[in-house]
Amino acid sequence: MMTSARTTTSPSLTDVDFRRPQLRIAALLDEGTVQALHAPDESGVLAARGRINGVRVIAYCTDATTIGGAMGAHGCRNIVEAIDTAVRERCPVIGLWHSGGARLAEGVEALDAFAQVFAAMIRASGRVPQISVVLGPAAGGAAYGPALTDVVIMAPAGRVFVTGPEVVRSVTGEQIDMEGLGGSTAHGTKSGVVHIIADSERDANVRARRVTSLLAKPGLFDLRAVQDTDDLRALLPDRSQRAYDIKPVIRKILDTDVHESGAFEEFQAKWAPNVVTGLGRLGGRTTGVVANNPLRKGGCLDSLSAEKSARFVRMCDSFGIPLLVLVDVPGYLPGVEQEWGGVVRRGAKLLHAFSEAVVPRVTLVLRKSYGGAYIAMNCRALGATAVFAWPEAEVGVMGAKAAVSILHRKTLAAASDAERPALEAQLIVEHEQIAGGVARAMSIGVVDEVIDPATTRQVVAEALAAAPAGRGSHGNIPL
Amino acid sequence: MLAGSENAELEARVAEEIRADIVAQVWQIAATEGQVVAEGEPIVILESMKMEIPVVADVPGTLVSLAVSEGDVVQEGDLLAVLE
Repeated sequence: MMTSARTTTSPSLTDVDFRRPQLRIAALLDEGTVQALHAPDESGVLAARGRINGVRVIAYCTDATTIGGAMGAHGCRNIVEAIDTAVRERCPVIGLWHSGGARLAEGVEALDAFAQVFAAMIRASGRVPQISVVLGPAAGGAAYGPALTDVVIMAPAGRVFVTGPEVVRSVTGEQIDMEGLGGSTAHGTKSGVVHIIADSERDANVRARRVTSLLAKPGLFDLRAVQDTDDLRALLPDRSQRAYDIKPVIRKILDTDVHESGAFEEFQAKWAPNVVTGLGRLGGRTTGVVANNPLRKGGCLDSLSAEKSARFVRMCDSFGIPLLVLVDVPGYLPGVEQEWGGVVRRGAKLLHAFSEAVVPRVTLVLRKSYGGAYIAMNCRALGATAVFAWPEAEVGVMGAKAAVSILHRKTLAAASDAERPALEAQLIVEHEQIAGGVARAMSIGVVDEVIDPATTRQVVAEALAAAPAGRGSHGNIPL
Repeated sequence: MLAGSENAELEARVAEEIRADIVAQVWQIAATEGQVVAEGEPIVILESMKMEIPVVADVPGTLVSLAVSEGDVVQEGDLLAVLE
């Protein structure tokens, strides 16, 4: 059933259908700022302008109270006009989705109308932020609407699928309900379709407002606000081989928002969690973070995490959002599934995305950066604005122990069992002198500076602030 | 899987399967069956990619059962423990 908790836990609303577009739009926008873009109609879509935290926005909402929100030519035209208006007026556009898709009675005309909506979204891509909030089933054409936007937020009653459970069962025999097929678990953890899983419709609006503010009110770097000197290295375990969760480190580097919890708005938190992507503020300025998470898969890069990162990098580049790249990566994840799954093709997307990005992008190596993953994580040659490292960091083809086992395989094999450990230890020390740490990397200029972890906020903010502000001239293809 | 705040109580009693996210060797068992674990507390420590990777509880709960012992090799997706 589509009706959610609201009607059972809020008795005062039982006689008012909260799914009415007027109410949903009013719940999203600043009070008293809603102005419809068109006269009331039977189109199944309401479009309006208004404000979010004072920022001018355009919003549209499907009418879930009428034939499940299905839309035809008129409704789609309202959406197209809303999007085109947003582009003209240079403001974000937010779509509230609860729609069964095309109105069957309108046949091909409805299909054509949906296609026009997609075309409008693609015209707008990268020009103005487009945010989708999925509040109920968004099926068929209504699934591809959110898919073409920059950020997709899903409320608990939200469902997204191209073909629903009935058709799935009749064609493939698979038995699954709407929630299983296209709800929070499906799209929050398996598919990556949804960026933010909200825990209520109200929360979905809060998150949409937050993302809108981050994208539309990016602010300026205030370097006086980054002078704090917490020792961030203390957040990492003492043992260099022990994995840790990168998220507390990210939150310590970014500004803490005293007004709301969750100052770091993470995207796709439970999908490809071995890399963390999301928006926050650094010295007051909206900044995108891309960070390996050692706690997940050792922080390895793989097909999905590379793709996730690449799309996020391109989104930030489209909107002129500078990037902070935090690196602690042992390499790419080996395996047949990875290779056959196209880690080569999908990893290449990340190389391309970073290299193409013209926004300021600063890399900080926390502990290690090895091999191909070193290259992919915004290295110097891909055009990083600056590359910093904490004192114990290692940048290399691989770790010293692994390198020695390959380079000196014969020597070690020839040694006796008693001698071998000491010999190996000596070879490792020698190898580290030649190739270890960041000394070599610094001598060839691929690491700019080793920094005191306590100065991290200041150093990275200054480097981002000093770089020429750029903004990519491409759209945000859903990579 | 259940969602929504009105189902939170029910959700707390639903078993959560903790699975390996990478091929690894079980290096250390960090919690005992019956132990109450906090969110973020390690249950098992895996060894892979030359690192010790703690596998932690995503939500607080009771460790109902362990599916592995020290030294076991696990594939991606293998069950490590069940939390409730």
